[in-house]
Amino acid sequence: MKEHENLRVKPIQWHSEPDDDLIICRCEEITKGEIRKAVCDGMVTIKEIRRYLRTGMGLCQGQTCGKLVKGIVAKELGVKPDDLEPATGRAPVRPVEMQVLGKESEE
Amino acid sequence: MKRYDMIIVGAGPAGLSAAVEAAKHGMCVAVFDENAKPGGQLFKQIHKFFGSKEHQAKVRGFRIGEALLKQANELGVEVLLNAVVTGIYADKEVIVRHNDTVRHVKGDTILVATGASENMIAFPGWTLPGVMGAGAAQTMINLHGVLPGKRVLMVGSGNVGLVVSYQLMQCGCELVGIVDVAKKIGGYGVHAAKIARCGVPFYMGHTIVRAEGTDHVTGVVIGEVDEAYQCISGTEKQLDVDTVCIAVGLSPMSQLLDMAGCQMQTVSAKGGTVPVCNADGETSVEGLYVAGDVSGIEEASSAMIEGRIAAISAARKLGYLGEAPASEEISKLQASLEALRQGMFAPGNRGKIIEQTEEGIRISNSLLTKGYLEEQEIERFPGFHTQKGIHPVIECTQNIPCNPCQDVCPRHCIMVGDNITALPVVDENSACSGCGLCVASCSGQAIFLVNDSYDQTHASVTIPYEFLPLPAVGTIGVALDRSGNPVCEAEVLSVKANPAFDKTNLLTMKVPKEMSQKARFFAVKSSEQKG
Repeated sequence: MKEHENLRVKPIQWHSEPDDDLIICRCEEITKGEIRKAVCDGMVTIKEIRRYLRTGMGLCQGQTCGKLVKGIVAKELGVKPDDLEPATGRAPVRPVEMQVLGKESEE
Repeated sequence: MKRYDMIIVGAGPAGLSAAVEAAKHGMCVAVFDENAKPGGQLFKQIHKFFGSKEHQAKVRGFRIGEALLKQANELGVEVLLNAVVTGIYADKEVIVRHNDTVRHVKGDTILVATGASENMIAFPGWTLPGVMGAGAAQTMINLHGVLPGKRVLMVGSGNVGLVVSYQLMQCGCELVGIVDVAKKIGGYGVHAAKIARCGVPFYMGHTIVRAEGTDHVTGVVIGEVDEAYQCISGTEKQLDVDTVCIAVGLSPMSQLLDMAGCQMQTVSAKGGTVPVCNADGETSVEGLYVAGDVSGIEEASSAMIEGRIAAISAARKLGYLGEAPASEEISKLQASLEALRQGMFAPGNRGKIIEQTEEGIRISNSLLTKGYLEEQEIERFPGFHTQKGIHPVIECTQNIPCNPCQDVCPRHCIMVGDNITALPVVDENSACSGCGLCVASCSGQAIFLVNDSYDQTHASVTIPYEFLPLPAVGTIGVALDRSGNPVCEAEVLSVKANPAFDKTNLLTMKVPKEMSQKARFFAVKSSEQKG
C-alpha cells in the first residue's frame, strides 16, 4: 500500500494520445483515454480505477479487460503491471440478478 | 445446509479427475459448473494429446473427457450444471446460483478448479464482430458446429494459436496467416509444421495494427515491429480476412480464491494472479485446494494429475485414506506430473532461448521462424535415416514429453528410451513393415513412411492426413513440401482409415524418386491450398 502512496505523490500531466478513443472495457464502454485521465486524476490502484470508472464492473467482471486496464495504468505510472496490486476478488464473482440473490433455496 | 466431503468448483479436466479420485475413496462429492455441459475445455480438444501411455497420449482430448465423465457417473458423483459458484465464505461455505435461486452448501474440503480465461489485446477495430478469442472460435467449431468465418488471421503462435489454426483449417476455413510479435514461434514445432505444410505463412515479429470494417471485420492490417513491439512505419500489409482470432495467453480465473481469503501472488510465468499453494495444491486456507489452470497456466494433462493429487490429499485429511497409501499415491502422481514438465517447453524454460536439443543437436531456426524444417536440416536429427525399402522418417526435432511412437511399433524400430523427452531414434536396420501405426500415433503428425524404391523411378510417401473429404485412390494431385509449396505431381496410392488410427488417415502418394524427402503433404489442386 505504501508503494502506491509513493506513486500518488508524482503528479502526472495529462496529454492526449492518438488511440485515446479505443474502447478498453467493453461491458462499460470505458476508453483508454478515460483510464489514462483517471490516473492523472490521482487513481493509482486498480481498485480505485474500478470505482472511479466502473472498468471491470460489467457483465464479464473484468475477465476481458482486467489485464488491459492494468497494462495502461502501469504504463502511465511507469511501473511493471505485476507490481500493481490486483483487483480484489469479491462476491458475487459472476453477475447475479438481485431477485435471484435474494431468493435462497431451502435445499 | 447440505454438507459434502468435497465441493469441487469446475467440471473440467482437473475438477472431474478430482471428483473421480475422491469418490473412489468413498468421499461424498459435489461438482458445480457454470456451463451447460461438463468437461471444461476437454470436449473442444479434438486433437491427440502428447505424453506417455499413463498420460493417455495419442488419445483425443474429448475422448478423455468422455471417459472421465463416464467414470464420474458410475461412481455416483453429483455434477450440477448451470450452477454458478458466486462466492466462498468463512468455514468453507459455498454459495451456488442454480436456476433462479441461490443455495448454501458446506464442504469439509473445497477444490477450486475454475480454469482460465483468454487474454485480449486492444487495437483499433478489436471490438468489431469477427474479432474473437481463439478459444471462442474453437468452441464455435468443435462444440456448436458453427464456422466463425471463412478467412482467418490468427494472432499468437503458442500452442493454442497453432492447434486452433489447424482445427479451423480442418473445418474448411482458410488460414491467411499467423501473426506474433515474438521473433520465434511459441508453440510446439510439430504443431507449426503441420500448418506450414498446408502453405500458411507465419508472420513472426509482426503485430496487428488494426481490424477494418464498419459492422464486421472486412480486413486487417499487420506490420513488422521494432524492439519496443511498435509497428515500423512502412511495413504495413493489408490482408483480406473476415475473422481475427486472438491467442495471446490465458489468465487464471482465481477471483474466488482471493475472496475466500487465500494468500495470492502475481506470477507472470503462471499467467497472472494465483493462490500460493503447497505441492498437494492446498492453499493458505486449510482444506481449500486448487488444481489446473487456476493455479498456473499449463495444460489438460497436468490439470488432471493435479486434480487427483488434491483429491487424495483431501481424502487423507478427512481420514478416508491412510497416511502411507496416500503418500505413496501422491508421490507416484507427482512423478508423472514431473515427467510432463520436462523438455524444452517445460514451465521452467519459459522465455529462455534454447539453441540445441538435449542430444546437443542444433535447433532448426527455420522451424522457429517459418514453421517448417529446411530439407537439409532433417538429416541431423535421429529420426531421419535412409534405408532400402519402406521406413519411417521422424521429423520430431524438439524435446517434448511424448513417446507413443516407441510404444506402438510392433517391430520395435523406434526408440525414445526412458527419458520421455528424448528425440525418437529410428533403428538403422529397421524391420519396418509399413503398418503405419507410428504415423497415426504421433500427436504431432511428424512421422512419415518413405519408400525410395517404390518402382524404378518413383518413391512412395505416406503422410498423416486429417482433412475431409479423403481423396480417392488414383487421384492425381500435387505434393507440397514442408513450406506448402507444390513440388511435383503426386498420385494417391492408398488411403487407410483403420479404426486403430483413430481418424488420422494414412495417405500414401507416389512421387518422383528425388522428391521422397521433399513431399510432405498432398493437395488435390495447388490453388486450393495456397490461397
